Amino acid sequence: MDTQPIISLSDVSKRFPVGDGEFTALKNINLSFQKAEFAGLVGPSGSGKTTLLNIIGSLDSPSEGKAVVMGKSISALSHRESALLRNHHIGFIFQIYNLLPVYTVFENVEFALLLQNRSADERKKAVMEALDWVGLSSMAHKRPDKLSGGEGQRVAIARAMVKRPAILLADEPTANLDAENAHIVLKMMKKLNKELDTTFLFSTHDEKVMKYLDRIVHLRDGKVEEDEIITTQQAAS
Amino acid sequence: MKLAFQLAYKNLIGAGLRTWLNVAVLSFCFVIIIFFNGMMDGWNEQAKRDTIAWEYGNGHVLNDKYDPFDPFSLQDGHGQIPADAAHLTPILIQQGTIYPDGRMVSVALKGIDASQTSLELPTQALRESDAEIPAIIGTRMAASNKLEKGAEVLLRWRDKNGTFDAANITIVDIFENNVGSTDNGQVWISIEDLWKMTGMTGEATLMVAGKEYVHKELEGWHFESQKALLSDIDKIISTKKASSGVLYMLLLAIALLAIFDTQVLSIFRRQKEIGTYVSLGMTRRQVVGLFTVEGAMYSIFAMVVGCIYGIPLFIYLAKTGIAMPQASQDMGVALAEKIFPVYGIQLVIGTIILVVIAATIVSFMPARKIAKMDPVAALKGKLQ
Repeated sequence: MDTQPIISLSDVSKRFPVGDGEFTALKNINLSFQKAEFAGLVGPSGSGKTTLLNIIGSLDSPSEGKAVVMGKSISALSHRESALLRNHHIGFIFQIYNLLPVYTVFENVEFALLLQNRSADERKKAVMEALDWVGLSSMAHKRPDKLSGGEGQRVAIARAMVKRPAILLADEPTANLDAENAHIVLKMMKKLNKELDTTFLFSTHDEKVMKYLDRIVHLRDGKVEEDEIITTQQAAS
Repeated sequence: MKLAFQLAYKNLIGAGLRTWLNVAVLSFCFVIIIFFNGMMDGWNEQAKRDTIAWEYGNGHVLNDKYDPFDPFSLQDGHGQIPADAAHLTPILIQQGTIYPDGRMVSVALKGIDASQTSLELPTQALRESDAEIPAIIGTRMAASNKLEKGAEVLLRWRDKNGTFDAANITIVDIFENNVGSTDNGQVWISIEDLWKMTGMTGEATLMVAGKEYVHKELEGWHFESQKALLSDIDKIISTKKASSGVLYMLLLAIALLAIFDTQVLSIFRRQKEIGTYVSLGMTRRQVVGLFTVEGAMYSIFAMVVGCIYGIPLFIYLAKTGIAMPQASQDMGVALAEKIFPVYGIQLVIGTIILVVIAATIVSFMPARKIAKMDPVAALKGKLQ
């Protein structure tokens, strides 16, 4: 069994310039995540959750320390290499879904595969399969503005999962959803985590999400406050 | 690149009204540029064609002492028509004065072979008339001197010895053309009449070459080809084209400004979309390419839209011509009643290439900013 972590963060710090000074968003973060984990970064606003997700997703790089994702050091990647990493191995889910407004549901989900130069047949098969996972195959030709919030987020999940990424990063995925839709979406993600062995990493402060997580990393003021593994019994209770 | 075109097409179609407003402005620019260029080309061709038909023929054989730009050379600038002057229409030019309504007007008195066919001047009217000295003049000359068909006017001229003589001439025809130099201040009579009036029998100032004319050296005469004679018109045309180019550039600049503005606004408003593209795995270069292609595609759409309404319009105008106001002809500008625009393939292709390249450049300029964008800030829509 491969015990090499899929994500490894060593002494990761991140500072942003603010006016004449600096704001430290992350301070010496040391964490690692294994394949197929269903984990969450939990903490109040400004605790550094999204910043950490962005670094793991190679959208940003640490000011200090080393972030290694899929065996690649984020700081050492060129723009092109980090784009390739995201395109092939990392899926993103955003709070406000970020669906491309002029594309249909099908085209939104297909987008990542277009970037991978997959054939039309391959794309169609993969997109319909992804839409089946989220139960939206009948809405393939609808535009995002015709979808409800829950449906929109499910499309975003299908778009993130269609390329079968090793890592899925979800930034406050349930923040814009009602309780019922939040549970539907979370169950769906849990199922995909089990079936496809995808590592799910959430940033959240939503209690509903926490109930589904197998591991909760508590962040406060840019530091890891607690790294909590949830046992099956705890989760059941 | 194919992907950029696919995505750009979808984005533009999806953007709806915003796209079609830009396309409308740009297509209007396309059509106006081609319309004006076509009109200028039509005007130029018409000017050349008319000048050849009414004045230059296949070239001029000029007396060596005659300089068309020096009126003083008329005195000595004539000579005996060579015996072997085949396919040449002789013209003898003398100075004269007419007295319409008691006014004194200097004219160029031109004697031409009444049976000639090299020029379109209606000289057969000189042959068919019973008047003692029949004359033809152009509409401008007639208007400026208040002369009508059938009018008699006193003409004074000098014979070969310099003696003044005078007689009434009868206007037997008034012709209409666009070549001012055959009209303004010109009185055309039969060369035989002029020979008799001046005593210069068998002499000419210049000879107009017919279609069959083959040049050979004639002593005391020199040949100026049609091309050489037209060189002045060509120079005027190129100057006219350069000045009209300023107008096209202004039009183009307005359309390109619309694209530039849309692109700047688009990049600002679509920050989250740009962030999403990057998060989905597009390189920044690909995103820059996508936005550039989007801008360039406006010009492709504009070309298609422009063709839809432009081609029928151009065909119609090329057939029916564009009527020019009478006032512009009265001003002495060589304008036909109607200008028939000429829309050459070179003009159309050239305009398309120019607009597409220019649209691509102005799209690329703001799109370069994307390459420097922080994807995280873009995803949050926080860039200013």
